[in-house]
Amino acid sequence: MGSSVSHAGAPPPSPAAAPTPPIPVGLAAALPPNPEVQGDAKGVSEKVDWLNLPCPVAFEEIQREALMSLKPELFEGLRFDFTKGINQTFALSHSVFMGSMEVPSQSSDIIKVPTAHYEFGANFLDPKMMLIGRILTDGRLNARVKCDLTDNLTLKINAQLTNEPHFSQGMFNFDYKGQDFRSQFQIGNNAFYGANYIQSVSPRLSLGSEVFWLGHQRKSGIGFAARYNTDKMVTTGQVASTGIVALSYVQKVSEKVSLASEFMYNHMTRDVTSSFGYDYILRQCRLRGKLDSNGVVAAFLEERLNMGVNLLLSAEVRRIDHSKKDYKFGFGMTVGE
Amino acid sequence: MASKVSLKGKRKAGKGSKGPEERSACKCFKEWSTWAMKKAKVITHYGFIPLIIIIGMNSEPKPQLYQLLSPV
Repeated sequence: MGSSVSHAGAPPPSPAAAPTPPIPVGLAAALPPNPEVQGDAKGVSEKVDWLNLPCPVAFEEIQREALMSLKPELFEGLRFDFTKGINQTFALSHSVFMGSMEVPSQSSDIIKVPTAHYEFGANFLDPKMMLIGRILTDGRLNARVKCDLTDNLTLKINAQLTNEPHFSQGMFNFDYKGQDFRSQFQIGNNAFYGANYIQSVSPRLSLGSEVFWLGHQRKSGIGFAARYNTDKMVTTGQVASTGIVALSYVQKVSEKVSLASEFMYNHMTRDVTSSFGYDYILRQCRLRGKLDSNGVVAAFLEERLNMGVNLLLSAEVRRIDHSKKDYKFGFGMTVGE
Repeated sequence: MASKVSLKGKRKAGKGSKGPEERSACKCFKEWSTWAMKKAKVITHYGFIPLIIIIGMNSEPKPQLYQLLSPV
């Protein structure tokens, strides 16, 4: 996400990942429509209405096309999700996972721990208010609240609560949307305060910046971002004072195919990563794959077997060092919307 | 030397006389806010999902109780 670039240098709370299963969204739906298409009947010159620029994408989502293609939810093991809609606005979800989770270790060995959990969730989706809650068998709660206080002001709350003390995280976001700008103010636990602002400078270019302050560690940071998009491609760049530079480029090759590439440089750890990925959105399936400079090759398939029944296959090969490799394979099924 | 030491002692005593009241007010506020955050965390942990279910069961069209439990 856009905001994770500035935060990666310091260990602040990270926003909760989306708990619902991924819904295939075409790139055409994700990109804003080209405002100059309407004036094309005139011919060569297109008039830009500088007072009526489109509203830009939110700051944490400027890289969303690249992230959709390059970061699918890869998993290892068995996953089964069942979503039961009770109402237009109310749904319950049950999710079972059996597989290995990686435990981060200091040595280069990968330690995998077999785990299994059941997750119960409830969603309430209103045009004005969205409440999503997920609780796992080990007592962890993922909560997301999104409430439209007025037409332009939105409150978002993300929380991950655990039974162990000092491991819970929470974040409050206040978003204000103007005609051609968006601004956000964040308050998180561990005395984390952040603010970001993004402005449309032309119909295709938007520039933004963010600042954050970590109270407990007395760290602060500032970052800048830019996003240029046409209806065929999106390119973004981000620079942060934590020493991270991230660039991404997504090209929509056709209605069904898009290609993405990303480059990230961390000045503090002198780490460079670049990755390439593809995203095929076909009638019955969505196939995403990526290749990384860290030696990671991954693929993720979602196949629609029937109305509301999706099959998931996930595979990843990772090179740990010159001789060892790690293989992950996962399969699952999603039933319901 | 002795006079310098006694001056320093007086200055410290001067600062210290205003300090404790402000510091105890700050500490009181911090203790209360920590206590409130802990209670809020426990309440949210146990009550968030029941809150969503209650709001959902009261939304239109009003669902029946068996729909909550049956897998169909």
